[in-house]
Amino acid sequence: MRLESVPSNLKPLNPRVTVLNLKKRLQASLLATGLSLALLPVTGVNLKAQSSPAQIKTQTNEVFKFDKIDLDLLEQVELLDKRFEKEGLVYHEAGLEEYLNRVGNAVTPDKQMERVAWRFRALRDPTPNAFALPNGSIYINTGLLALLDDEGQLASVFAHEVTHVSKRHTYAQNRSIRKKVLAINILSTIATWNPISGGAGMAIDVIANVSPLILELSIFGYSRELEKEADLEGLKSLTGASYAPEEMVNAFKLLQKDIEGEQLNSFYSDHPKLEDRVTYIGSKIDGKARSISAEELRLAKAQFIAQMEAVDRHDVELAISAGRFRSAKFVSQKLVDFHPDSSENVFYLAESYRSLGPRTPEITESELTTGAKKRSAKTRNKLTLEEQETKLMATADGQRAWKANQEKAEQLYFRALELNRLNSVAHRGLGMLYEKVEKTEAAADQYGKYLEFTPKAADSARFRRRVEILRGLTSDNGNPQRVHPENR
Amino acid sequence: MKTLSRLALLCLCCMAACQYAGAQYLSSKIADKKVTIRSAVVLPAKVEITKESAKGSQMMVAESAQISSTIFEVVGQTLQQKKISVLKSPFDAQAEAMDDEHKYTLANIQGRYDALLPKLIRKSKDVKKARFSLGDEVMILNVDQNANVLVFIRGQGRVFTKGKTAFSLLNPFSLDFPFVMITIGIVDARTGEVLVFTRPVAASQVLKNPESLRKLITKSLSKLAVSS
Repeated sequence: MRLESVPSNLKPLNPRVTVLNLKKRLQASLLATGLSLALLPVTGVNLKAQSSPAQIKTQTNEVFKFDKIDLDLLEQVELLDKRFEKEGLVYHEAGLEEYLNRVGNAVTPDKQMERVAWRFRALRDPTPNAFALPNGSIYINTGLLALLDDEGQLASVFAHEVTHVSKRHTYAQNRSIRKKVLAINILSTIATWNPISGGAGMAIDVIANVSPLILELSIFGYSRELEKEADLEGLKSLTGASYAPEEMVNAFKLLQKDIEGEQLNSFYSDHPKLEDRVTYIGSKIDGKARSISAEELRLAKAQFIAQMEAVDRHDVELAISAGRFRSAKFVSQKLVDFHPDSSENVFYLAESYRSLGPRTPEITESELTTGAKKRSAKTRNKLTLEEQETKLMATADGQRAWKANQEKAEQLYFRALELNRLNSVAHRGLGMLYEKVEKTEAAADQYGKYLEFTPKAADSARFRRRVEILRGLTSDNGNPQRVHPENR
Repeated sequence: MKTLSRLALLCLCCMAACQYAGAQYLSSKIADKKVTIRSAVVLPAKVEITKESAKGSQMMVAESAQISSTIFEVVGQTLQQKKISVLKSPFDAQAEAMDDEHKYTLANIQGRYDALLPKLIRKSKDVKKARFSLGDEVMILNVDQNANVLVFIRGQGRVFTKGKTAFSLLNPFSLDFPFVMITIGIVDARTGEVLVFTRPVAASQVLKNPESLRKLITKSLSKLAVSS
């Protein structure tokens, strides 16, 4: 509506009429704007630059046109890649890097893509997750690597992430969000400065206040659509690379395990529900799936764990440090089952049991209810790990669990030493266990043995100080007992 | 009436924000001078700045890194003004030169602090009661055992474009302003206990002016006594 375009000869003579007309036109215009913006995500009528998954497909098959905003985003993610490296978040192990790139490259598209250089790396993070940057950097967390059973499952994770890159999902999502945020800003301003009273004014108020919420929800909805597309296209890449398609279903089923009891179904979710993903992927592979024999599976699993052994141990350390004690126990148990005569693997299982403290090794049914998960999330946000442990230790169940974990840990530390008497860290673990149960002298002895075997260990000063405190050689203003549970 | 009540709410929020912004929390050990800080190792700062436009936010990775190193320097200088010697650490900003083991060690301790930070922000007053600790594992960062404390710096900020500024002016009740919040945690280098925690907040303009930034940091550590 451009007022200046009204020809002067059509201007009404009565100024009052002009004002009334203007008001009506303003009302109509505001209503129209509000309605069109509110209905936009619901009806699927997209703003010009917003791309639906179908449109993105067309763009990828032809040539994706990079706008300035896409290039800006690309520049930022290139820097982000470097930052992950600099901050020590990327896990380096020559054999593993080579392996990840081999598996990842098997599910990438054949043709060269503009501004994409495929790189597959492990991120030092114990949460089971993976993500893709639009420049072709695919990161898989050590927490997910440790959860997977075989190469086919790893390939299915990569196939999903590769699709996000090949279909340029990040750019599409970014463009879509920018349009929606602009609309939200305009609508919020209309809601603040709505000069119109009466029924029409109220309607504008309602639309301007409700539409931003709908737009926000549509952002999650759009994201879920892209995720579904990544699953389905990923499945095609997976089978194209001769991996069994049911491995994708198996990977989702592993994610459903919820070892820590932290998965909460939220309305504001940017991913489809795991059970839905299992269902729609399952329905796509019905009939096509080649059956995998139990022997084939066992062999594939053994080969995979052998490849992952070092990174899995690293993940156990990370999980313990992050308070994901049950995940640590799960992974280290898997390592011991695979390689029971490895002193190192047995040591990590012992560490996991010690760190569990008053928690049960596996999550209980009662902890898996939605209410229990919500309460647990609230507690995690509110209390430190140490406070959570003290609270649990005050219960009979907590005491019982701690007693069992303590016995199991001690037995495993001894087993680790039996397998390799030079495994000095087992002495350190025993020392920490004894210190926690106030066996002061025994704890000091074990720390002493650790320091004797590895006097130049990076943490030698820490344990020298503990020995001094335990033997009363030093008075200290800080008590090492009052520390992070992992250190206990 | 609607505007008046919104205005009153805005004033209340501003007052609360001012109170929040100037807060400094000292453990009783520091407040009662039972512990004196003579030397410190400042760990690499992590400050995240985003550019907010009318169309949403964008990362500013390079600018964030630049501001992080500026704040790292400023905090070091502020501590030196308090006669606390700032020691060179093998974990300083030259992280590119570090081997993987060093990088991992630093990342683990930084990660542990990041996990504690939301609780520190939520109940900062509990620093006085010595509620928060990173554990004695922090000793691994104090390689020469000369430092009394380790200093953790975090921050987040939003820089507005002209478009976003216009929207925020048109819609003042959304309480959407460009700001920067820096948090500084001073941790006992042997026990890991959080001894001092401050969280200065300022308009993001401060990022463009090093002198203002210096004043902000100095003010935020004003309760920390000069080392004798």
